[in-house]
Amino acid sequence: MTKRINRRTTLKGMGGATIGLPLLEEMRATASLTGAALAAASDVPVRAFNVFFGLGIPAPLQQEGFDGVLEPLKPLRDKLLILRGVDHVRADQNGINAHFDGASAAFTAEAPDGEARAGGPSIDQVVRHAHYTNGLPDGMVPTLNAGTFFRRSRVSRYVHSYNQDGTVAATMQERPRDVFDRVFGSLSLSTGDSDAREKRIKRSILDSVVDQYRFYTGERSPLGNASRARVADHLDRIREYEQRAFHMKDSPKGGASLPPRSRLAHGGAADPGGQGIDMPLEDLVQEWRLLADLYALAIQTDRVRFGSLTFLAAGERLRITGDYRYDGRLVYQFDDARQLNASGDAGCSHEWWHRFNEKKKNEQLRAHAHMKLREVAYFLSRLAEDDCRDANGKTILENSMITVSTESGDGRHNDVKRELSGVFHAITPANGRFRTGGIEDVNAEGIDVYNTMLTAMGSRQLLGSKDHKTQMIDAIRV
Amino acid sequence: MPTSPHTLPGRIGLSLILSTYSCLVAVHSESVAADDRVSEGLQVLYEFRGEKGDIVDSSGVGTPINLSIRTADAVERGGGVLRLTGPAVIRSNKAPVRLTTAVRQSGALTFEVWLTPANNTQKGPARIVTLSRDSVRRNVTVGQDGNRFDVRLRTERTSENGLPSLSSPKQSARPTLTHVVYTRAADGQAVISIDGEPTERKKVAGSLRNWDQEFPLALADELSGERPWLGELHLVAIYSKALSAEQVRQNFEAGPAGKLSAELLAQRAREAAAQHFETAVAPILARNCLECHDAASRAGELNLATSAAAIKGGDGGPVIVPGRPEDSSLWLSVDSDAMPDDRPPLKDGEKAILKEWIAAGAVWSLREIDPAVYVHAPSDDHYVQRLTVDEYIQTVQQTLNVDISSQARRLLPPDLRADGFSNTAYNLNVDLKHIDAWSKLAAEIVSRMEVDVFVKRFSNRRKFTDKDMEDVILKTGRWVLRGPVTKQELFAYRGIMTTVAGAGGTHTEAMECVLEAMLQSPRFVYRIEQQRGGGTLRPSEFELASRLSYIIWGGPPDEKLLTAAAEGTLSRQLSAHVDRMLSDDRARQHSQRFLNDWLHLDRLNNLQPNGERYPDWSPELARDMQAETLAYFDEVIWQRSLPLSALMNTRMTLATQRLAQFYRLPQSAAEPSAETHAVAAHTDQRLQKYDLAGIPGRGGLLTQGSLLTVGGDDASMVTRGLLVMHELLRGVVNDPPPCVDTTPVPTRPGRTQRSIAMERISDARCGGCHGRFEPLAFGLEKFDGIGRYRSEDEHGNRLREDGEVLVPGTPAPVSYDTAGELMDLLAESDRVSQSLTWKVTQFAVGRPLAAADAAILDRIHRRATASGGTWTATLRAIVTSELVTGTRDSESL
Repeated sequence: MTKRINRRTTLKGMGGATIGLPLLEEMRATASLTGAALAAASDVPVRAFNVFFGLGIPAPLQQEGFDGVLEPLKPLRDKLLILRGVDHVRADQNGINAHFDGASAAFTAEAPDGEARAGGPSIDQVVRHAHYTNGLPDGMVPTLNAGTFFRRSRVSRYVHSYNQDGTVAATMQERPRDVFDRVFGSLSLSTGDSDAREKRIKRSILDSVVDQYRFYTGERSPLGNASRARVADHLDRIREYEQRAFHMKDSPKGGASLPPRSRLAHGGAADPGGQGIDMPLEDLVQEWRLLADLYALAIQTDRVRFGSLTFLAAGERLRITGDYRYDGRLVYQFDDARQLNASGDAGCSHEWWHRFNEKKKNEQLRAHAHMKLREVAYFLSRLAEDDCRDANGKTILENSMITVSTESGDGRHNDVKRELSGVFHAITPANGRFRTGGIEDVNAEGIDVYNTMLTAMGSRQLLGSKDHKTQMIDAIRV
Repeated sequence: MPTSPHTLPGRIGLSLILSTYSCLVAVHSESVAADDRVSEGLQVLYEFRGEKGDIVDSSGVGTPINLSIRTADAVERGGGVLRLTGPAVIRSNKAPVRLTTAVRQSGALTFEVWLTPANNTQKGPARIVTLSRDSVRRNVTVGQDGNRFDVRLRTERTSENGLPSLSSPKQSARPTLTHVVYTRAADGQAVISIDGEPTERKKVAGSLRNWDQEFPLALADELSGERPWLGELHLVAIYSKALSAEQVRQNFEAGPAGKLSAELLAQRAREAAAQHFETAVAPILARNCLECHDAASRAGELNLATSAAAIKGGDGGPVIVPGRPEDSSLWLSVDSDAMPDDRPPLKDGEKAILKEWIAAGAVWSLREIDPAVYVHAPSDDHYVQRLTVDEYIQTVQQTLNVDISSQARRLLPPDLRADGFSNTAYNLNVDLKHIDAWSKLAAEIVSRMEVDVFVKRFSNRRKFTDKDMEDVILKTGRWVLRGPVTKQELFAYRGIMTTVAGAGGTHTEAMECVLEAMLQSPRFVYRIEQQRGGGTLRPSEFELASRLSYIIWGGPPDEKLLTAAAEGTLSRQLSAHVDRMLSDDRARQHSQRFLNDWLHLDRLNNLQPNGERYPDWSPELARDMQAETLAYFDEVIWQRSLPLSALMNTRMTLATQRLAQFYRLPQSAAEPSAETHAVAAHTDQRLQKYDLAGIPGRGGLLTQGSLLTVGGDDASMVTRGLLVMHELLRGVVNDPPPCVDTTPVPTRPGRTQRSIAMERISDARCGGCHGRFEPLAFGLEKFDGIGRYRSEDEHGNRLREDGEVLVPGTPAPVSYDTAGELMDLLAESDRVSQSLTWKVTQFAVGRPLAAADAAILDRIHRRATASGGTWTATLRAIVTSELVTGTRDSESL
């Protein structure tokens, strides 16, 4: 298991010894606002984040409470409210797959508007606009969308923060160093996202080019030795260019080096047409932890108050291998392809969801879901540490509206209603606005749950059409 | 018709043999004895002869794919049998790329096994021969499943595991010696034959393009274990073709100990010996001996350039006694370092090669050793060809209809010359400036495009679904990247699209980004080809399309070429496509690039003769000279369709008024002529055609200012002579010995450039080489440093134009009296004609030509000459030769 990474070691781990002092000093100065110095501040910032994990938890398993797959959330039970029986509206479009439909409704309660747009805003953005009508304070990243995902077709599989018009609220940052750059690389992004967006896309182009050149230098290259050496030279030049074109301009004075490249596949290589990729558990967890640390650091340093964090896309297709341990015990030994005795997409873990049967043990599904909740819990717990206390003495976790959700996970695509029923949700107290400390069978439509939350957060704007009559879910409010 | 100096009569050059190996084998297979095994299409053969070490691939094809045994305790060997008594790991040491590539290209295969199963109960199927990664990922596997044999073949239509499989009938797998053959033809027809008779048939549809080149070849189990096969293997053979029923029976009748024919094996031995001589021995003789012992020098009356003369020997009799190096004075003299005289001794390795060659019988497979062939050491280095600046501009223009020439020439570093051309692949390096330029140019190109309109040429799909993105990427990419988009590329470009979508971008923006990425991708800025295959590869149809277009047009393939490539008809209809391409104006434009590069005409832009000596010189005159040469070439080659050698002596030219005055051409010699389009950009004046029949000295490329200026202000005989020798005669001279003062000697009254040259030629230390090339420039003595014709130099010395030409390989020089006679001699020389073919070919293939290419060059030259020796004939011969239709001997993994 990877070591727990604190603020300082995060930076050391990512940038190595070349992380410059100016960055650390600058960050400490900002970080201090969240510590003792901020205690003098009168207001606690309003924050809202959406945390998504792929494939979901079948409704019957949720009934097992913290004794089952929800076990990793148990240590945080006093700061969470688990919501069972949340049903989403029929969000499907013709020809669109159910994973996508279900994920699209998460945090929006709306059917998607095509492959790249949500049907409406996500709850974090509604809260953002309610509290920061004139924009966030200078130097703040308006919205941070980040996540680790390998299923890329259709945006709402993995993006979980949307503007009022259903467009993505911020460019998805899919590598730890992208998050690093986005949050700490530039200081004047609050008034507009276009430069950063363009740079992000340019980097994506360059990354794809780098990947292709890397392929031609690798073992599978069709080129002979001389040509491979030539292309390797080319690759070196690109890296030099990359440093000059992107990194050097971004760095604070004194220069923090660009964090190392992620070891995981990203971009197009991450999703070979839905066929899935092999994924050692340790690599995945290491990336998740790094991303979670960075995201938490971004919140701690008050660079980010809104956004989303994704732990795998809806309908994710990975062939995971490796021992999964929790609380000192071996929970399961992942080896999806071998256990499914299949390759390609048929050898991916999402098959366990399709095979879900209430009458069976569903051993593999349980282990996968348990493991993802462990990582979600890790992220949440980073915001519950002592150095994450706001002016009111509560932790960021307690003061923020953090909504954890997923897709249905029952794998019953032939029954869309059931597919979208009983979608797992968990929420944080949002500075005393919501109940915590247990599991609540709300048995309600997601849109009503969300609108109840928005109302509690002081938003006049609610989700859904004007015709929709919201049923407030009092059970979740204090 | 002159006889080729390179190959023996009736003999096929080694390179040709190698590159057309399968063809030769095919011819051979028609006359094999009944008990010979089929060798046509053979890729791998295991006969299990050895008792220790690796299991050797005895196919004799390319790089052997040997197998190592990693669990010896479960394996017994001996008597031509591999006995498997327990689970074993027997696998290729490296991924058998040669095999997988050959099968992927042919789409057909045969797996043949002589075996005795230990029982008829082993299942799994138990893996007998497998090309796979593990129990669920494979290319192909022959196995035993109880009392049946079972073959899983992965195609684009089957599962990754090669399912559904094809099984032999029940009870066909028995613990007795059995001959099992699985064939799968390119049309998908698969057959399992048992003991020479077909038993089951099935269509296994789908191409084999998805075969993974990384999967190892293994016997008797999967690499991941758990599927062991027990029994005896007597023979395993794999072909990249589907054997016919007759051939299957032939191999069955040949039995488990059947051999390839003795004739074929003997032929391979002869080829190996010839290859050794041509690639190892001849280069040593050429570099160390021929300077003094060629046809012209014959020191000690010994000529080591030809087989007959070498066998005859010199003053002291034969110097080579086949089989007995200790009695061969050639070997003894180099072993004692007595030879080479006055030159560094041979290295130990070179001496060993000579000794072994003599000991092995001194096979001499060449009629004549041409030192020019060995100028470039043989190399396995096969450099991927980056687009030159010109090619980049042409590719952008023709692919995207954007003229990026001015920006590209400003931003991209110029391509540097190497071995006479600026498109030499090994020298096409990449600098940080390239990366920056390609990035900027890509953005600029895309900004100038109507991307939606462009993309709609290929696909109307505009959604961000996998299928829609795939459709638009595959179709657009095929055109932009000059061939099919790979899955990996598809994923990458789809990743860009989803990134843009994830940032709230539109489909148009996404495609702009995809195009920007494509323009910077290796598939665009390089001409990527499959280079690894152990020497048995042929270019794919798309690779061939690019080869043709860049060689003939200097730009990308057009839609007709790509369509033909996609349909698999290009190589079959090669001639028709070549004819079409040569009649396209792009071929004409590209020929100008050859001329400009070959003669380095761009140097005129930087020429700065001494202003006091040459007050008439001006940059405009330099451009006129460049324009003259380009227009002359266009007139001779395209307007008159004359042979390339006519460039030497066609007595006309096209000159601006400024140049004509400089040349002092009389107006009476002028003919009305329209401005020549191809060279219009090079000068500010109209070009006029002049008949030079009555003009003293002028007529032919060498008498034009663009070339005469190569001699510098002093009109150096050395530089001009070397130009003729290197560029037209492919002569080879060594560098001056150390301590020789090479400072140019000035002329003065009573001492001309010729007299200074004669002093060098008379000097024993210098004359051996200078006598070969300086007389070539004597005929140009009357042209001064910037190409003006005169009868006296500035000191009043009378100048002459008589001289001699010593054609490399000939024993005696030929005299000439005038510059015109020199030009005629050159024009009529087959050596010059052959050299021009070599130059065009080098430019075409983008690399120096070496010994391995010589035989093919001879064939190209003969074919070109037989068709008139024109540019189009030469290009046609080149692009239909093995240099283009075959892949150079490429390395294995």
